[in-house]
Amino acid sequence: MRKSYVTNNIKLKEFDALIKITVEMSKYLYPYVREILKSKEDIEDNSIIWNDFNKRFIELIKERFNMDSIRVKKLLNQAENEEIIIKSLLILSFCISNQGYQKLKDFLYDF
Amino acid sequence: MIQNKFLFHQSSASLEIIGLPDYSNNENEDQISIISQWKLTIVDKPLIEGKIEHLGPIMNAFYIYSNLLIKNEIPIYESKLIDIKADNLHIHNIVLKSSKPNVKPLVLKIGNSLLSDTINCFDQLNESPKVRIKKTDIHTYMPKKLRFGLIKKVKFFNFFIPPFIAICSLILFSSSIIYFYSPFENIEKKELIKPE
Repeated sequence: MRKSYVTNNIKLKEFDALIKITVEMSKYLYPYVREILKSKEDIEDNSIIWNDFNKRFIELIKERFNMDSIRVKKLLNQAENEEIIIKSLLILSFCISNQGYQKLKDFLYDF
Repeated sequence: MIQNKFLFHQSSASLEIIGLPDYSNNENEDQISIISQWKLTIVDKPLIEGKIEHLGPIMNAFYIYSNLLIKNEIPIYESKLIDIKADNLHIHNIVLKSSKPNVKPLVLKIGNSLLSDTINCFDQLNESPKVRIKKTDIHTYMPKKLRFGLIKKVKFFNFFIPPFIAICSLILFSSSIIYFYSPFENIEKKELIKPE
């Protein structure tokens, strides 16, 4: 999915390390993640945060991901990407505990 | 006897646990093993409290529901004590049923932010070394599908690795024997003997 000409498969250790980094980041970013989720709940009163986040998300996808991929196109389609974004944010917000690493790993294996 | 009180707080939700240590089990004074009261406070929502035996099932309900929500399955959890359904992707409908007769069920609507706050409060309680709750009451939140998946993977490897090693060792062993026996040389010798 990424803009890269090298197609190396991720190693198990690298996968574990990425999960650990993600969990630590989500602990730190929980207040922001929560505000984005909250903004979407009452979109009529508080749409600024969600719109800003969505705009930046799409910018980053366009910048770093392979735009020819169908899965990437799905991420950019505003009608389809909402569910993916909400569920991804929910997964991050559920994994901020000390056992977050194991929880995130379980969620990803089952996703 | 003074009861211990612990508060597990996350943004707009807080879980209060009141109880006593189990002195018969040589526990410290600042621990809780015998829960006498629990309260779940969510900002702008009615206070949730119940019997001690209700805490485990309510925590389970939240964990199971959150798993269903993420796994793209229909997010519905129903039990005698609590029902949780999704109104849409952002709002969740919780119905808490009283065990007492003629008491109307308590209906709450919470968003994703409050749901994650509540789950994080329960996580803090589960991980707290100060409060010991019966682990039989709280199921692990690993989805069943995954649990079976992991067992299957382990069994798959256990099943295939021994014969694989056996075949490899057989190939190695037999390839070394080839150097000691050459059938072509024997045939040539026999052919040389026959014309005489």
